[in-house]
Amino acid sequence: MIRLEHVSFEYESGCPVLDDLSFEIQEGEAVGLVGANGAGKSTLLRAMLGLLPCAGITVDDLPVVRENLSRIRKKLGYVLQNSDNQMFMPTVFEDIIFGPVNYGLSRQEAAQKAGEVMEQLGIQHLKDRYNHKISGGEKRMAAIGAVLSMDPEALLLDEPCSALDPCNRRRVIDLLNSLPVTKLVASHDLDMILDTCSRVILLSEGKVKADGPAYEILGSRKLMEDNHLELPLGWQSRGRTGNC
Amino acid sequence: MDDLTAIDSPVHRLHPLSKLVTTTIYIMVVVSFHKYDLSGLAAMILHPAVLFALGSIPPGICFYRMRYVMPLVCAVGLLNPFFDRTPMLVLGPLTLTGGIISMVTLMLKGILCLTASFLLAATTPVDSLCYALLQIHMPRMIVTLFLLTFRYVFVMLEEAAVMTEAYQLRAPGQKGIHYTAWGSFLGQLLLRSMDRAGELYESMLLRGFDGSFRYASGKKPGIRDILFPVLMITMFLVFRFNRVADLLGALVLRGV
Repeated sequence: MIRLEHVSFEYESGCPVLDDLSFEIQEGEAVGLVGANGAGKSTLLRAMLGLLPCAGITVDDLPVVRENLSRIRKKLGYVLQNSDNQMFMPTVFEDIIFGPVNYGLSRQEAAQKAGEVMEQLGIQHLKDRYNHKISGGEKRMAAIGAVLSMDPEALLLDEPCSALDPCNRRRVIDLLNSLPVTKLVASHDLDMILDTCSRVILLSEGKVKADGPAYEILGSRKLMEDNHLELPLGWQSRGRTGNC
Repeated sequence: MDDLTAIDSPVHRLHPLSKLVTTTIYIMVVVSFHKYDLSGLAAMILHPAVLFALGSIPPGICFYRMRYVMPLVCAVGLLNPFFDRTPMLVLGPLTLTGGIISMVTLMLKGILCLTASFLLAATTPVDSLCYALLQIHMPRMIVTLFLLTFRYVFVMLEEAAVMTEAYQLRAPGQKGIHYTAWGSFLGQLLLRSMDRAGELYESMLLRGFDGSFRYASGKKPGIRDILFPVLMITMFLVFRFNRVADLLGALVLRGV
């Protein structure tokens, strides 16, 4: 569904953030994107959405170029790292229906869709709340709802569980597992990656350092520590691990 | 403002278009009063007074929110008493000149126009207001610009609040922000606001935004929505073209 062939990108500083990346994500796959800070995870997600000028990316055989952006963005739902920057309408409800209405649904249809999504996420009580008056965790759930309401074929999530309490974190994990769509999850929450993704791509300095089954990659202490990461908490033995 | 627009009152329930039309004509009528016609203008206070009462909007909130703008509006006519010294009214030892009367008239005009605009914004959500603007064929680009400005002002204010808090936590006992930090503070505020505004815009693009908002179409205007502007506008015109204050004064004096 998403294919990258020799994708490179650098900001104005001249330092490559993505360096000759090539991989493919099949339809229905759940892929975790892990790496230390600055490894290029968020940049990669933004490049896939056409927010950064990058050649060599195709989504469902559509090259990510200006003419295809509308169709590609309908297919890919993106949950931003910072929910404050994702919610721009006055109320949660208005924000959730924003995407569906823009993609041609009537307000009634969009409202129905919003109702379903809010029920799925357990956030019906937030419907008429103002975005700037809800907590960080509630905002995160609402941001996920705003993306799900567009019925995307693939979900790109940047730290989906940050700012969530354990109960809501579990709710998001269960929700992600229940969705039959392609998922690409960038996160430092390796336990969550382990719970939701069958495959992991490890990025380091803009390059793919490892790509394979989640259990193999996240279970390799040497590989993780060499790339400034640690084993998932659930797998760590007592005492301090890691090389930080 | 969000809290005020969420109040349920007869004024809030009115169609946004009827409120927009009434307010626009009210402002036009207020502005059209002659600079010495203070008594005629005074009758126009009735409109905001009715809206404050029916809309359950505490007047204190209105004047508190506009405390920074009011002095500017009032300053407009401050020089009039120096230039226009024509005696207009003698009250015992006190002589009121044309300059003083025109200054008060200008101030009252400013206050009335601001109050009417505030009441419109406090009783109508911004999206509904934008919808009403489109209904009167305001260019879509201007309406979108208005809406985005409204939204981005809050982004900037939020950033400023976070930065001020961070500054004060590391500068205990200091009142305000020291002038040596003003440059970097403003620069950072601008950069941070631009970053956030950029991300918000990207988020809109990713959800299909193509430059125009799909505003809530809302309900069709009912009889009440038509009667309100008709009655109000009639009242404005009566006040404008008849010396209602003089008539009332004459009636009172005749009664006495």
